[in-house]
Amino acid sequence: MKDLIAYIAKALVDKPDEVVITEIEGAQTSVIELKVAKEDLGKVIGKQGRTARAMRTVLSAASAKINKRSVLEIIE
Amino acid sequence: METFNFEGKTTEEAIKNACSQLNVNREEMEIEIIEPGSPGIFGLVGGRKAKIKVSTIKEKPAPVKEERSISDEYIALKEKGTSKEEPGPAIDENAIIIAEDILNKILELIPMENATVNAEQQNGVITMNIVGDKSGLLIGKKGKTLDALQFIVNRIVNKKLEKNIQVVVDSENYRKRREEVLVEMALRMSEKAKRLKKPMVTNLLNPHDRRTIHLALKDDDEIDTRSRGDGIFKKVLIISRK
Repeated sequence: MKDLIAYIAKALVDKPDEVVITEIEGAQTSVIELKVAKEDLGKVIGKQGRTARAMRTVLSAASAKINKRSVLEIIE
Repeated sequence: METFNFEGKTTEEAIKNACSQLNVNREEMEIEIIEPGSPGIFGLVGGRKAKIKVSTIKEKPAPVKEERSISDEYIALKEKGTSKEEPGPAIDENAIIIAEDILNKILELIPMENATVNAEQQNGVITMNIVGDKSGLLIGKKGKTLDALQFIVNRIVNKKLEKNIQVVVDSENYRKRREEVLVEMALRMSEKAKRLKKPMVTNLLNPHDRRTIHLALKDDDEIDTRSRGDGIFKKVLIISRK
């Protein structure tokens, strides 16, 4: 799960080296925290949050496959 | 060093104008973009011309790096494949490979073991069909996941190429099936609108779906279609003209 978001986020930003992802796993739900360079924040969120929403949708599809839930948090 | 101003529909075109009029190569001038220009709506309303400022460099110095931040790799790819004037199919060939790579990588990370991607290019649009997702997981409710995948792949491809190429992601022929459903719904609603002489409203649709509805009813003289709402998702009004 973590790798999926890492790949997408790194491909979207200008500073891929500053992408930090932490996964906090729970029994049912895991929280994925995404941290990017300040200038890149808009790139992972997108106009009207469209990119963030698309990432969350893909993430939930991927999680559904292993019968889990994942939440994506973009950390400022 | 002399400075000139040039205009064009796009910055690309403006630069081309500059090259031909000054009779110099692109590498021999410094280009400053004053206004990037915009195509406007359907290229009709509100279009602005791109303006650039060009300074010629007399003695040819070591090639000046342009301000644009295309990674060198892609410049090399582009220049190797085609002449500078016209974007030939070679660019698209690379674009297809890049787009396919990105989608494959995402599928691999989901992970979708049995899914394979068939990519093709038509009229400047790259269509990638995912084969092997029997569960419909990649399509999602009302194509939500498929749209999200498509959006992300578009974003990444356009970022990598610094060029807007439309990428369509399809799975199990969903896009075609969806279109049939929408056209049928549009026709049904237009009949009802005519019968009741009342406007009919669809539910919230994405731009592509709305376009399908507008196109399905464009030849019907008794029906007018209009989009209503804010944001990406809007409703379509199907109005009887009589």
